[in-house]
Amino acid sequence: MKNSKSYYSITVIIAFLLMAVSCERKLDGLELATYPTTPEVFIDGFSTGLYYAAYGTSKVTAFNVDYSVKYKGTASMRFDVPDTTDPNGSYVGGVFGTNPGRDLSAYNVLTFWAKASQPAVLNEIGFGNDMGASKYKVTIPNLTVNSNWMKYYIPIPDPSVLTQEHGMLFYSAVHQNGRGYTFWIDEVKFENIGTIAHKTAGILNGQDVIKNNVETDEEFQVSDLYASFNLPTGVDQKVSLTTSYFAFKSSNPAVATVDPTGKVKTVGAGSAVITATMGDLAAKGSLTINSVGQSVKPTEPATTPSLPAANVISLFSNVYTNVPVDTWNTHWLYSTAENQDVKIKGDDAIRYRNLNFVGIEFSSQPIDAGDMTNFHIDIWTPDATSGKKFKVLLADFGADGVYGGNDDSNFEVTINSPPLASQQWVSINIPMSSFTGLKSKSHLAQLVLSGDLPNLYIDNVYFNNSGPTTPTTAAPVPTYSAANVISVFSDAYTNISGTDLSPNWGQATVVSQISVAGNNTLKYKGLNYQGIQLGSAQNVSAMSFLHLDFWSANSTALNVYLISSGPVEKAYKLTVPTSGWTSLDIPLSSFAPVNLSGVIQLKFDGNGDIYLDNILFRK
Amino acid sequence: MKRNFRILASAGIFALLLMALYSCETDNVQTLPHRNWQLVWSDDFSGAAGTTPDAAKWKFDIGVGPNNDGWGNAELQYYTNRPVNASLDGNGNLAITAKKEVYAGSAFTSARIKTAGLFTQAYGRFEANIKTPWGPGIWPAFWLVGSDVDTVGWPQCGEIDIMELRGQKPNVISGTVHGPGYSAASGISKSFALENNRFDVDFHLFAIEWGKDYIDFFVDNTLYQRITPGNVNGKWVFDHPFYIIMNVAVGGNYLGFPTNQTPFPQTMFVDYVKVYKEAE
Repeated sequence: MKNSKSYYSITVIIAFLLMAVSCERKLDGLELATYPTTPEVFIDGFSTGLYYAAYGTSKVTAFNVDYSVKYKGTASMRFDVPDTTDPNGSYVGGVFGTNPGRDLSAYNVLTFWAKASQPAVLNEIGFGNDMGASKYKVTIPNLTVNSNWMKYYIPIPDPSVLTQEHGMLFYSAVHQNGRGYTFWIDEVKFENIGTIAHKTAGILNGQDVIKNNVETDEEFQVSDLYASFNLPTGVDQKVSLTTSYFAFKSSNPAVATVDPTGKVKTVGAGSAVITATMGDLAAKGSLTINSVGQSVKPTEPATTPSLPAANVISLFSNVYTNVPVDTWNTHWLYSTAENQDVKIKGDDAIRYRNLNFVGIEFSSQPIDAGDMTNFHIDIWTPDATSGKKFKVLLADFGADGVYGGNDDSNFEVTINSPPLASQQWVSINIPMSSFTGLKSKSHLAQLVLSGDLPNLYIDNVYFNNSGPTTPTTAAPVPTYSAANVISVFSDAYTNISGTDLSPNWGQATVVSQISVAGNNTLKYKGLNYQGIQLGSAQNVSAMSFLHLDFWSANSTALNVYLISSGPVEKAYKLTVPTSGWTSLDIPLSSFAPVNLSGVIQLKFDGNGDIYLDNILFRK
Repeated sequence: MKRNFRILASAGIFALLLMALYSCETDNVQTLPHRNWQLVWSDDFSGAAGTTPDAAKWKFDIGVGPNNDGWGNAELQYYTNRPVNASLDGNGNLAITAKKEVYAGSAFTSARIKTAGLFTQAYGRFEANIKTPWGPGIWPAFWLVGSDVDTVGWPQCGEIDIMELRGQKPNVISGTVHGPGYSAASGISKSFALENNRFDVDFHLFAIEWGKDYIDFFVDNTLYQRITPGNVNGKWVFDHPFYIIMNVAVGGNYLGFPTNQTPFPQTMFVDYVKVYKEAE
């Protein structure tokens, strides 16, 4: 213990001295660091500085130096690919690296000899993997090997950049049809071979890719980068490359920019062509961006749905818990639709472009909409809608719940313009009864949107019903002090005596009183208008509010009026339909110019079936 | 691309340094006999791109051979006279292009042109400056056939292959003679290899110098083979006029078939063809 501590101290002192010496070194006259140019990677053993690191998830014991099987010399590298069921790892893979890095700029190819215990495909082999950024990685995917020793070539696309390369060789391989096998690699070295010729390079697999209707801020990644060489055997060898081998260029940076990693960003309207070079060599392939500039898109989200969750089966809405939808774009044959998840002021919506038709599928959990009365969807389009159509098709997969089986049915409903409108949210409610060809609504599995609006935002896609048509619970019992209340209709207070709840004003409305959960409730069936004749003129000028509870599942319009003699009347709009009881306190000032000292009547007009309770004035 | 290795009539004994070709050899100097060449026939293939070669100098062979057997070699191409298979490239070269396309029942097309009936000569120097195509199963050739082939038949007419290349070995060419008793695989032949280069990346000059009792084979003016009557196992038939053929075959007994790794199309570029006679 004591001894080792003193050694430690000595070590520290020596290190300190060395640092002191190095600090005095003058920078003048220093030359650029040079790196070894050693070409050998593995001939009969690890070359100077070579190390091996197996991939963490691979079978790490798979690599061994083999002294019995070799192409040449005394040893080769053996790789034992495990069976797919091997508990120690189901594949082999790793990196042979060097420290320090090597200057490979005088070579044009990494060569090796290889064979396998059976014909096999090595999933990846290459160099330039330094277990870090791997800036200059070169990969041959799917290299075929067989049971004869053969020479393989991995050409260096641009030797000039490999001045301090750490990654000498990397590989990965999996079983063939579940079973493992063995392969050997020998005589791995960098060479400069004049019989490798006809270098070509490419991006996007050499294709000229065109992107139309691109919008500002859309981004693309230039991928599928390669170089190809003709080997001494007359065949081409293609290698996959990292972006660092290429210099990218945009023909019009005002339309699209490209960064050194091949990331393209659209910045304006117009056309730009992205091309690349590798050294002096123009790469085949290009990416043309035809940009329309900023898109026309909704600035406000669709109106938030107000229906109670119990009345809704939602496919897409931020308000409800949505049922599982397999896909919002089935990409069926001939469908050109592209979909994109977007947010409009924080509200999720789906955007479709190039929509001719799009399949939306929820067949893995078909929807039982048997209790639903409507299909609802909000749509927004930048396109002109005059003379255009929007179509909604629902498909039911029948009792077997799957496509086919002679029990499927579907029906399409067409929406015209109007109500279609450009650049505004249009709320589309289609009664389920309109889908006349649907034999069943219990196994709905597909929704198909089509028509002539190629650009579409959609939101709040759901089935709904109006819920119970009569209230099942009583209106909340008011708790105001009786001294502060003048009651017209309530079980909680003494009502104005002599009030006529159904004066004959020629109305069509059918008035009745029903008991809801033991509570007396006023019902207007088939409202057009309806009056209440107070038993006597009331001075409510000391009161602050008209309070009332109302409930309607089917009304789309409802107003309440106060009337003073003259008659002087004023309407107040009530929001319908309701989700359950709505309790409302309307400031009496809202009814000006009605004379609050002499209110003689109340009146309702609108439509639907209305339930009312606790109509009272309060302080 | 014009590289003019002009060997003028006044040329005397010349020596060439061949560092690039024979860098490993200690003796890099060849001493060749004096020959006094006079140009008698040539085509430098100048002309507009897409035009077919001069009809006053060249004829096309069309099809799959007179016996429908791939020109006696089980070759796979159909020879056409379309510009896509043989035309000037506008840069002073003839381009003979083998394409992978189904045409008249064949899987490939290409072209073969010859001077038969237009120009024949016995003896002299025949040369062409050529950049070869490449790829397994690609077989470019610059060769001579005895003009009496139609009367005496092959191989009695004689054949001199000045350059043949197997596309799977793009750095090796062969020079060969065929005659009665030494034809096809028994032809008298020798190969010439570029050790660290290929014949398809630049133009190279392929030539023979042919006298009464010798045929000398050259690549870039390096003599690599001399064939004399003593080398052949039969009658020396190289004593009468021959015509020139240039073609790119696809597949065949000589080299095997193309694979799906063979890059197509493949073009042989011919900068010029020249024929000289030895001055008296």
